[in-house]
Amino acid sequence: MAHALREKAAISGVGETAYTRGTAKSGLALQLEASLRAIDDAGLSPRDIDGIIPYFPGGGIAEDFVANLGLPDLTLSAFIPMGGATCVAALQTAAMAVATGVCKNVLISVGRTGYSGARVSTRLQQFPQFALAAEFEAPIGMFAPAQLYAQGARRHMELYGTTARHFAEVAVVTRQHAILNGNVVMNKPLTVEEHHASRMIADPFRLFDCSLESDGGAAVIVSATDRARSLKKPLVTIMGVAEGHPESPASIAQRPDLLEFGLVKAARRGFEMAGVGAKDMDVAEIYDCFTFTVIRQLEILGFCKTGEGGPFVMDGCIALGGELPVNTHGGLLSQGHVVGLNHVIELTRQLRREAGKAQVKDAELGLVTGYGDMGDGSLAILRRAA
Amino acid sequence: MSTTAVPAAPAPERPMPAITRESQPYWDGLREHKLMLQHCASCGKVRHYPRPVCPHCFSMESQWQEAPLTGRIHTWTVCHHPFNFFFKPQAPYIVALIDMDAGVRINAPLRGTPEGNLRIGQKVRLQFEPVSNEVTLPYFAVC
Repeated sequence: MAHALREKAAISGVGETAYTRGTAKSGLALQLEASLRAIDDAGLSPRDIDGIIPYFPGGGIAEDFVANLGLPDLTLSAFIPMGGATCVAALQTAAMAVATGVCKNVLISVGRTGYSGARVSTRLQQFPQFALAAEFEAPIGMFAPAQLYAQGARRHMELYGTTARHFAEVAVVTRQHAILNGNVVMNKPLTVEEHHASRMIADPFRLFDCSLESDGGAAVIVSATDRARSLKKPLVTIMGVAEGHPESPASIAQRPDLLEFGLVKAARRGFEMAGVGAKDMDVAEIYDCFTFTVIRQLEILGFCKTGEGGPFVMDGCIALGGELPVNTHGGLLSQGHVVGLNHVIELTRQLRREAGKAQVKDAELGLVTGYGDMGDGSLAILRRAA
Repeated sequence: MSTTAVPAAPAPERPMPAITRESQPYWDGLREHKLMLQHCASCGKVRHYPRPVCPHCFSMESQWQEAPLTGRIHTWTVCHHPFNFFFKPQAPYIVALIDMDAGVRINAPLRGTPEGNLRIGQKVRLQFEPVSNEVTLPYFAVC
């Protein structure tokens, strides 16, 4: 029997601001600007929003949306504290809310001044989930995600022979895609040599293995499928969606297998709900806080076996026109860092056939992942149902 | 136009652990140059980082036992970019994640061995570095 939530919810609107380095706007202003665009994209009025799931911390909270958009009767205000896995996991909460009738239209949004405001590396102190790392690892010199995730990447290299050349391929291909997009922070070509020459941040991660610190806002609206069908844009349904939490979720150091991300659990449930598999995907938007994170998630999702992610990304496989186009918008590595909500927006546009020069021909099915907060994972499989 | 002397910024300080009721015995142990680990008083299993409940049998009773200082390299990173100014003079520095023989992991700097010589499974020994009257931090050296 089909899962009760399969295709009961749809992405009805998407919106984003310019992605920049430097802005005079607040995180809240960026978030509201993107939200208004998403509402307009859906053909809705701000008054139609009755569920708010903002990325937190940073940007606004439900109260800000009531105050700015005059929401008459908010029925759901929720945070999903999963770092980079938040935005895709929020699709699950939103889908549950609209499928049960608790909400009609849920707004998921991000507003970030990751470049011009508080730098991303100060987050350790803000997240309650980072308390263990702050007590046991910050004093010995481990603070930032780049450092905390580097140890898993190094182990993958030692065990399976994954190399910096594989990492570079992810960075270079992602940049090629960004250049086609137009609304990106990094719009100049990147070569393998430039990747290898970029300064080391936390071995094995060089500068161009790391996602951007950028300013911007992004928003999506989730509505019940029956409601979304009558709205402005081609119908894109949520076939499957899941979140997953790894063992030892607040400490990578104590996790039995450092490379066993929460996505292992989310993928199993997400694909099962959708009733499709990795081989059915036309396009994949993979959370790319680091180049290696893309490689490992491709393995977990079943596009290749564990240890084969490095060779898998080579030879144009993940480029437009390849076997599995990945991060067709330029991702967090080259477009901008709005915690992966830009990945949800890009997949929606691909399935609507609104992706411009980066359009994957005849895209019908695609997936988007989230990864963060020491290894939490999330997965959504979307389908063009128009 | 006269110039105004800008006061020197205070020297950056090492981030210090916010020690909790659960973790106090671990930090007390390091200060006495011992590795003290939390064990379930009911099923005996070791756990780290310290926490109130045994995730295996749900007992809230625990006892602390001294553990051997030896272990093997699980993986490592070399921190080049100092995300905190305190660590700028030390960068680049190696942080190794160690599978302790006692069955838990400890993440700490590894000193005295160049990164090119490191390999998974290499034997290391925990050392102690007092950084204040209250806090002693661990680091590792290859055996």
